Amino acid sequence: MQRISYCDFALGECLAGLALLCVLPGWAGAAELRVPTTVEAGQSFSIPAEGSGQAIFYLLGPDHIVKRSVTLGSDLAIQSSDVRTAGRYQVILCASSCSSATFQVKAAPPAHLSFFLRPSRVPVSTPQSIDATAFVFDQYSNLVLTPTAVDFRITPATGSGFSRPTSAQHGVAWMRMDSTPHEGQVQVTAVSGNTEEARVIQQVAAEACGLRMKAIASGNEVTLETDPVRDCSGNALPDGTVVSFTKVDREGKSTVDTPIKKGVARVQFSIHGPAQISVACGVVLGNEVTLNGKL
Amino acid sequence: MNSSAHVTLALRKFSPRFLKVATFVVAACVLATAQSLPQVHLDAAGLAPRSIEELTGTTIARHYALAWRDMAGALESGRAEGLGEEFTGFAKDRLVRRIGDQNQVGVHVRIVDHGHQLKAVFYSSDGSAMQLLDQAQLEIQTFDGNKLIDTQNVPREYMVLMTPGADRWYVRDLEEVPAKTF
Repeated sequence: MQRISYCDFALGECLAGLALLCVLPGWAGAAELRVPTTVEAGQSFSIPAEGSGQAIFYLLGPDHIVKRSVTLGSDLAIQSSDVRTAGRYQVILCASSCSSATFQVKAAPPAHLSFFLRPSRVPVSTPQSIDATAFVFDQYSNLVLTPTAVDFRITPATGSGFSRPTSAQHGVAWMRMDSTPHEGQVQVTAVSGNTEEARVIQQVAAEACGLRMKAIASGNEVTLETDPVRDCSGNALPDGTVVSFTKVDREGKSTVDTPIKKGVARVQFSIHGPAQISVACGVVLGNEVTLNGKL
Repeated sequence: MNSSAHVTLALRKFSPRFLKVATFVVAACVLATAQSLPQVHLDAAGLAPRSIEELTGTTIARHYALAWRDMAGALESGRAEGLGEEFTGFAKDRLVRRIGDQNQVGVHVRIVDHGHQLKAVFYSSDGSAMQLLDQAQLEIQTFDGNKLIDTQNVPREYMVLMTPGADRWYVRDLEEVPAKTF
């Protein structure tokens, strides 16, 4: 219990107040306040107000103020709606002089998670590429500052799920993890007590791996076609991913960028004399073929 | 804004890789004017999971100082219009409600701000939120009408959540916590 007494009146005013006490029956003597040190948000309670007579009671909170006339000698009821916001509250009781006390309202148990999962798309098997951050709030939108267990449960598109238990410090829990090896949706669910929030991240194939093409010559034309383009985990690169074919022959160097369609990229060149053709996708170089054109 | 602020940055330790700033202190100092900014020192040592950039630190210190100036002005004048410049979300909603209640019951508060020691404790890896602890030296006077009914002059601690906007960092949550919470 905390007890703080305070008189902010000048001496003259205090003396005048004391004199008034003698002549005004029913006007209060010095009021004392005993308040709890800590209260849970949304919990009603009462403050005993010692003394007798009338006084003015103030409750000043982070988002709410109460002012009312009270009769000393009875309990001052604090409604649950008066203390929904966490933080420091000040109680002032003014009769002939003022007394004040403070108490702390702490967040209620976790009731809501504000959960951020980033990025929304990520290549597979990329180290430390997924970030999850969860803010723990109570039912009144107060950040729960006491350490709270938060479990991040990861459910990949294929394979078994796993979890990353953490503890929220000052209301915030976070973790960073590698993306899993297979493309598809990965669901991450933040769980704290009976509260959970799920977010989905799309894992896409990483860079191409073992990029290869074959050439089918037909007269002065050559058709180049890649094998199905996959990353090192065997995931097919999505259609639309650009593959670059570069030809160097007697007429110089030319490059054709073409998107993957149905898993492969295909292009047709005219070749003039001896030609070297290479293929690349992103930062990955594939094989080279050498041809001899008749033009 | 009539007041002007002088923002200084002292880099105590600065690794060759710029982003790996281990410790630095940003001081948002004050030019003595009628609506002067409170002094704010920011310590971002050991910040995780992301380190703080120099410009971000300077901006946060400045806007936190502006937030306290605006809040003090609003609590004293009973005018909440300017709070949206520096506050958003829960912090703004709660302050607006509080000022509405103040006006209803005829109470107002005067804050004499002696400065803030900010300690950054969390900076999300995508840069979308920063949590800070503020150890503030404040004198808070409470008035009913023109009558002073209470004065509090003790160190206070606040948990602060700030989020970036287009051109500034906003105070999204501001909660006074018991001393030595962090």
